[in-house]
Amino acid sequence: MGVLILAVMAAGVLLMLTRVLPTAFALGFMAIGIALCAGQPLFGGKDSVAQAVLQTGAPMLASTMIAVLLGSWLGTLMEDTGIAATIVRKIVEFGGERPTAVALGVFAVSILCGSITGSAAAAMLAGVVGIPAMIAVGIPAVVAGGTVLMGLAAGLPLELIGWQFLSDAVKLPLEEVRSFQLKVFPIALVLGIAYIVVELRRKGVRHAWSVRAPGKARVRRGDAPWYALVTPLLPIVLALGFAVPIVPSLLAGVGYALIATTRPGGFGTTALKSLYRAFDVAAPPIVLFIAIGMLLSAVKLPGAVKALSPMVSAISPSSPWFFVLVFAVLVPLCLYRGPLNVYGLGAGIAGVLVSGGIYPAPAVLGLMSSYGQVLCVSDPTSTQTVWSAQYAGVRPEKVMLSTLPYTWLMAIGSLALTSLLFLA
Amino acid sequence: MTTTDEDLAVDLLRAAPTHENRAEERLRAWARIALAFGDELAATPDPLPAPEIAEVLGGARDDVLVLAEYDTRVRTILVRPDGISRAVKVLMRAGVSVTAGELRAAAVAHEVAHHRMHRGEGRELARRLGHTAFRLGPWRIRGHVTGADELAAHRFAHRRTGIGHGPLALTAALTRHTFGG
Ligand SMILES: [Zn+2]
Repeated sequence: MGVLILAVMAAGVLLMLTRVLPTAFALGFMAIGIALCAGQPLFGGKDSVAQAVLQTGAPMLASTMIAVLLGSWLGTLMEDTGIAATIVRKIVEFGGERPTAVALGVFAVSILCGSITGSAAAAMLAGVVGIPAMIAVGIPAVVAGGTVLMGLAAGLPLELIGWQFLSDAVKLPLEEVRSFQLKVFPIALVLGIAYIVVELRRKGVRHAWSVRAPGKARVRRGDAPWYALVTPLLPIVLALGFAVPIVPSLLAGVGYALIATTRPGGFGTTALKSLYRAFDVAAPPIVLFIAIGMLLSAVKLPGAVKALSPMVSAISPSSPWFFVLVFAVLVPLCLYRGPLNVYGLGAGIAGVLVSGGIYPAPAVLGLMSSYGQVLCVSDPTSTQTVWSAQYAGVRPEKVMLSTLPYTWLMAIGSLALTSLLFLA
Repeated sequence: MTTTDEDLAVDLLRAAPTHENRAEERLRAWARIALAFGDELAATPDPLPAPEIAEVLGGARDDVLVLAEYDTRVRTILVRPDGISRAVKVLMRAGVSVTAGELRAAAVAHEVAHHRMHRGEGRELARRLGHTAFRLGPWRIRGHVTGADELAAHRFAHRRTGIGHGPLALTAALTRHTFGG
């Protein structure tokens, strides 16, 4: 039975790798397949495929989905009102003579953007102006793309949506997730800065005669007023400093952005327009979270737990240092839609680890968070990596090679932290 | 063509990622200063030692063409023959005839200008642009003008090589056409 489930998982990964099926669909079918292989009935009873996997599983990550939607709304507003672009312009104007300063500035903006909304939307917020601006001051294109991505990764531990996702996925209280993620943040921050400083020293600044093909003309918008520029900080400060829950924190950001940039008469129209556009931005991750919810429900079914736990526990390292070593070696398996992708099958595996009682839930949280960092930056198939690389004019694989040494170290650091806190 | 170098320079500045909203007169003033600086730079002899020149592969993609680069770390000019030959083809389609040899010479000269500006002469350009990013009483922080060094390098290359269409005009022609094939 366990072998059959593994075969379903392998088939699913193959379908994702070969891009026969979009990830979300593959995960959905995987969830149904796993439940059936685990011997659960199709209909009837609370552990049936129809009830447990589809009815209960689909909305399981509902809180995460709402957070994604609100984060996208705030991101859309920051784009429409020119807040993000204005911050980047100021950075270039102040730091332009020193490329490292420009890169560190764009990195900081990317952290903020990454903390309010995930994936490609965040990369675009910081990168639309940031990437060409960095290239214009002589930063090599690969490093320009990598800088935005490293910023997103450093912002990931502060991302409110990410807290919600991890909290729902491993069933831990939000406070515990937040407290762990805050300890991961310095590791991600230091390695992100190391990436910029080391890579710029290694590759050097380059002045090129280069020409970009006529793309879509960037929409020209006026600068946002200075007091609007604190918008991206607001949700984090509220959530961290004042323990405000995630939804009101994000809503406060939306409200502030509106008040700071829009005339009172235009509130309704601007708010509604940007909210509707946010649905477009939020659609892919929301669909993914529906499928992940189904997958998590499937692997937590009694039949699946009974079949998988012995196998997974047999190969799972038990000593704290072995835990770090083994999972550090396995890091590449989270790339290219691999089996340890935490926004894919990896979430299911995390579910098995928790429900099978193989590791304490906080350790699984640490594992997912560590892999999330690598995935966010280096996976050449993730949307933010593809967008940043292409916008910088390089292949996503080159960005992967440039960033992977640093994100791998990031993962090892967080794994060591996990082991120290929860396994030692 | 009735557009002058100055017009082209203003367009180029406006396309830079920080100048989208700047006033026309401001950009025009910066363009004039940068072009004049390029003229002056070309009129003075290059300091020794000259940067090394190397050829590297790549530079021709469907979305970006790179003709040459100046690597500040090893102080080397990297010429991209692929980028240059693709540019020649695109320009031919655009009705601008230039040989690969001419374009290569202009690209090398362009990077020589970057080499000189990077080694210190760029500070004078920044001083002349005199852009204030922030002022508080007697304190002022000088702001960076993205793209000004590029204009100076283009003009420098035009003066030094004397090719019919200057790098500014060639760049403008390239940006109006797609790079595929
Ligand atoms: Zn140049």
